[in-house]
Amino acid sequence: MADTICRTLRDGGLEGEHAPALTIKDSKASPFGFDVFNYVLTQLSNYILAGKSQSRGLVVVAYSRSPSFYVDLLKRRGIDIASSHDWIHILDCYTDPLGWKNWLIDKDISQEASSLSSFCQDVRNLDKLYSLIIEQGKGLIGQGKDRFSIAIDSVSEMVRHASISSVAGILSNLRSHDQVSSIFWLLHSDLHEIKFTSVLEYLSSMVASVEPFNQAAFGQRVDLENLSMLEQNFRKGKFHVRFKRRNGRVRVMCEEILVELAGIKFTPVLSEDEIINQRLLPKVSIIVLS
Amino acid sequence: MATTKPRLSSFSRNLSAVSSSQTPGVKCGPNGTMFVSSGIADLDKILGGGFPLGSLVMVMEDAEAPHHMLLLRNFMSQGLVHGQPLLYASPSKDPRGFLGTLPSPASLKHDKSRDRESEQEKGLRIAWQYKKYMGENQPNFDSHRDNKQDYCNEFDLRKPLERHYFTRQRVNCVGIQDSKNLAALQEHCASFLAQHQRNDGSCALAGRIAIQSLCAPQCEHSNMDWEMLSFIKSLKGMVRSSNAVVVITFPPSLLSLSSTKRWQHMADTLLSVAAIPDEDKELAKLLSGYQDMVGLLNVHKVARLNTQVPFILEATTFSIKLQKRRFLVLECLNQAPVDGSSGSSYGTSGSCSGSSKAGTLDF
Repeated sequence: MADTICRTLRDGGLEGEHAPALTIKDSKASPFGFDVFNYVLTQLSNYILAGKSQSRGLVVVAYSRSPSFYVDLLKRRGIDIASSHDWIHILDCYTDPLGWKNWLIDKDISQEASSLSSFCQDVRNLDKLYSLIIEQGKGLIGQGKDRFSIAIDSVSEMVRHASISSVAGILSNLRSHDQVSSIFWLLHSDLHEIKFTSVLEYLSSMVASVEPFNQAAFGQRVDLENLSMLEQNFRKGKFHVRFKRRNGRVRVMCEEILVELAGIKFTPVLSEDEIINQRLLPKVSIIVLS
Repeated sequence: MATTKPRLSSFSRNLSAVSSSQTPGVKCGPNGTMFVSSGIADLDKILGGGFPLGSLVMVMEDAEAPHHMLLLRNFMSQGLVHGQPLLYASPSKDPRGFLGTLPSPASLKHDKSRDRESEQEKGLRIAWQYKKYMGENQPNFDSHRDNKQDYCNEFDLRKPLERHYFTRQRVNCVGIQDSKNLAALQEHCASFLAQHQRNDGSCALAGRIAIQSLCAPQCEHSNMDWEMLSFIKSLKGMVRSSNAVVVITFPPSLLSLSSTKRWQHMADTLLSVAAIPDEDKELAKLLSGYQDMVGLLNVHKVARLNTQVPFILEATTFSIKLQKRRFLVLECLNQAPVDGSSGSSYGTSGSCSGSSKAGTLDF
């Protein structure tokens, strides 16, 4: 099912349609959102390299990790970095987001990373950021009808420096740009008011939420009884996805996730709880008269 | 009583035959109101004629489905086909581009009768689906078919509206994303409505205003709750004294609960659309015709101008279906009754005694 998401991002949008947008949201109870983000990033990179995707390039807007982290991540997953100039670009909003340093002592950024990244030194100006993203994307794909994808490290960081409406504006403008094939972002839902989470869900076509494996166990005191349940929450979680399909219906899917050192694994749920959407329908019941 | 043959009785009132012949697309209704069509024949029927001129219609969107766009498209197309001026406001970068997605009236060769019998055997009629069959015994709409064709067209969603419709008339498109507040939109609406002022009796030409996703998050005014409310209030006041209808769609999930309540109170006619889950086996068992459904429409309030008599609806929830993927129809839900004691649905068997849990009901 996580593969379904990656395939949807890979296939991109049709002509005249908004690009598919994925929100990955997690919370303190189950903080595996970043692992899911990395998984999606790696999968999409593999598709782009293999030439199977609609997009031919990827722009990563990195707020919460430095560009060298992403370079290492891709290297660990076996993706060739040396030839990566033509398909990936990292916009560095991590090192100096507010422009406090006039020059940069780039001890932290390795040689490889610096060739793949460029700095954004004013994250408060989202119009400038928008044009930077588009410029970098066009630089990757060149002239013509090709498209590129965008990954935003976390919109939680983005909204720290800008208003909700300007973040919503830049995301919807990116989605509706002709050359953007797909876009995905990470959100930590408990850092924000419900309104911001609703705004992002409104703007996206797929919402993937990471929830704790044992809902009841979270927040409880550590006792011998619930110790094993709590420990399960540290490595496992539930993955719910809501797809907005083209026919106007919503597809709801569920999987289990297991986080290991090598990465994250998705397994189908063994027992399916079927929830009847009774709230949608008026209740009709019969009364038996005896 | 004239229940089976309304046309022959001298007591029947042929309201739909009295249409304003000078003004295309406007129909006279009870209590001195005039109606314009919503573009969807079923919706006009449900609302008792259409949208009354001078009223404010609000549609609550579902964040997970674009069904409100279907309603807007039919509304706008109907107005353009009748030559009624249109003002369209949207938060997208290119509002004019939306006009290219408006549907065209279906060609007359299309068979307008709804083939409900085709899927079912003639002999078997399922008892709790009786409402489906009641429509067959009402011949009175056929006689006014010619008038109905003029008043409300059947739109083919796959055929785009010809360009001459929206270059010939005044179609004004306004983008609301980039403006700081709603003052510009308010001015546009005020000048539009000033051209459609209601004089005594005569109706020159009806106007339509369509505002899509008024509180869309990318607009700067989306966090100014009171500004938006006062905009709606002033718009409602202006439209009351004019020959126009305003349709506003908005996603209630993006507003605070108290704001949503206030917006709902402002509306004369309040509708909402809802998404339905895909490939849901339980829902497929519960509802007949689930395969063709794309969503649900709820009618919360129906406008009653110049009268205190409420409009009682038989049903408030309707399914939105696309017939042959082209024509929008609204149908009453045919829901299998749920057994009160065990909670199981009779939809699986289709007859009252087929349930395997009948053991508890054995006498």
